[in-house]
Amino acid sequence: MNYRFLSKKGVASFVTGLLKEFRVYGPVKKDGFPMYGEITSPDELHLLHTPTHLSPKHYLFPQRETLLRFKNGENHSIEPTVEAHDQALFGVHSCDIHAIRLMDMVFAYGTPDVNYLKRREKTVIIGIDCLPDKHCFCKSVNTMTVDSGFDLFLHDIGSGFVVEIGTRKGNDLLYKHAKTKKATAGERAKMAEFKNKKAELFITKINAEASTLPLLYSGSYFSPVWEKIGKICYGCGSCNNVCPTCYCFDVRDDVTLNLTEGGRYRVWDGCTLEDFAKVAGGHNFRKTRAERLRHRFNRKFQYQVDKFGGLFCVGCGRCIRTCLVNINIAEVTNELIEETNKDRS
Amino acid sequence: MKNKQKPKIAFFSFTCCEGCQLQVLSCEDELPDVLSLVDIVNFREAIDEKRDDYEIAFIEGSISRTQEIEEIKKIREKAKIVVALGACSATGGLNCLKNRFPMEEAQRVVYGNKAKNSKLIDTIPARPIHTVIPVDYYIHGCPITKSEFLDVLKSLLLGKKPDIPNYPVCVDCKMAGNVCVFEKGMTCAGPITRAGCSAICVTYGCVCWGCRGLVDDPNITAHEDTLKRYGLTVDGVLRGFDLYGGWEKYKEKQ
Ligand code: SF4
Ligand code: SF4
Repeated sequence: MNYRFLSKKGVASFVTGLLKEFRVYGPVKKDGFPMYGEITSPDELHLLHTPTHLSPKHYLFPQRETLLRFKNGENHSIEPTVEAHDQALFGVHSCDIHAIRLMDMVFAYGTPDVNYLKRREKTVIIGIDCLPDKHCFCKSVNTMTVDSGFDLFLHDIGSGFVVEIGTRKGNDLLYKHAKTKKATAGERAKMAEFKNKKAELFITKINAEASTLPLLYSGSYFSPVWEKIGKICYGCGSCNNVCPTCYCFDVRDDVTLNLTEGGRYRVWDGCTLEDFAKVAGGHNFRKTRAERLRHRFNRKFQYQVDKFGGLFCVGCGRCIRTCLVNINIAEVTNELIEETNKDRS
Repeated sequence: MKNKQKPKIAFFSFTCCEGCQLQVLSCEDELPDVLSLVDIVNFREAIDEKRDDYEIAFIEGSISRTQEIEEIKKIREKAKIVVALGACSATGGLNCLKNRFPMEEAQRVVYGNKAKNSKLIDTIPARPIHTVIPVDYYIHGCPITKSEFLDVLKSLLLGKKPDIPNYPVCVDCKMAGNVCVFEKGMTCAGPITRAGCSAICVTYGCVCWGCRGLVDDPNITAHEDTLKRYGLTVDGVLRGFDLYGGWEKYKEKQ
């Protein structure tokens, strides 16, 4: 692995360089809160930040995107569309990089999703170290650090950044747009210091090894916990929408006013919403909020793990922050752990 | 479509400000296309013609006089499809604020002391139109959005069930990339209110007042608890539902 040292001032000129080639998205302040946004100058970035309220997933998997355009009638035609542009995601945290890796697997699985993959191909990811807020629990799900899935990763060591080079593309961009020097052993040691300090700061934790969670969830299908949280849940979908690994969508058609041509688009959907599992004829496979929450949590800790081999919760804590009724995925998991331990003893 | 006769549509207003019909009229760019698909045979706000051979009736306004009940029933008899146009019609809307007062008082405050002896000025508790006639589809909002009107119209013309969202405004807010108003120390009706508005009020710095009515299965208890947790008193919580939730509340008390 190649490490370079970049001064704090150097970051600004690096971003300025990137802006010449890419649309750049990074953490900014919106109404005083950390959010991702498009930037036009490095001054807009707020780099040392706690997690953004919404994840950066919409840059790869937009809220709404057209998949194809069609014409009916005599000149019947169907034309697939892909909307993608060169973009740099700047200042992505390790949890979100893990999440993007999971999304990459999901969208490449089975019939590859051209729209996502094309956009992904045109995306440069520049990660950055972060500190947890009170909801983060990445340490509990082994996503506190990341060793791939980025083009560059910035480690703040106070005097500047140690830049970890993840890909050839990242390497070339760094050389093209920034003045760096080889990071010294001392500078690299500071990266470890930061990591150790960070590891001490977590307030939210899961009280079991991440590897035991799929089994825990498979044994907790009939737990009373689901009814308990189902009762207070709104079914508002916020937890789905802020989650960097929730990728469900609905597909709909939209016609123009001549009623013969139009587009087919996809739009975010969420498994906690009432109509998510409703099918033709009106039957709903997961009618209650309790069933829907159980489903969402199982998708993070069991079902997807069986399919893709890793937990689908990256511990970003966003669903905890967003939930107006304080349903806390880490606490719920801890309750299940406690229940299971009690049953055993 | 070419050889077939164009479907005939009509617009009617009951107790309302006619703002939703104004929204329809403001589809200036689209109106020529709309008119190539349908004939508008009754639309007081726009044309002189008044015919009764319509297939689709868009009805704006709530019902708040006895006479209106008879009138709307006649429309129902003639129309194959009835669409409630806007909050007043779909949920009772702002007019239901009246229902908090005795009807005689409402009558007196608005029309003066002599009103109670006048047969012309009768007033009954305001109500959404579905309490009087069966309604096929709803276009929500105060006012409605142009795009939703056009979407519903297109769906009806294609013989398709219109897509009326049954998820709360929180979804639209997250999609719009908004900071939650609760984070900003305010409270909001969004978590139980039907979306479809692109969270326009929150996007422009306001809160959601619930003009699109409740989702099909709102968790009201959860919302009351949330509002209390964010510092509202019981009275404040109740008032939080008042502006557009008047009919629901009135109904409960009956
Ligand atoms: S954010 Fe909370 S209330 Fe909303 S659906 Fe998720 S768990 Fe339920
Ligand atoms: S489930 Fe919650 S904590 Fe886990 S990745 Fe999704 S938003 Fe983050």
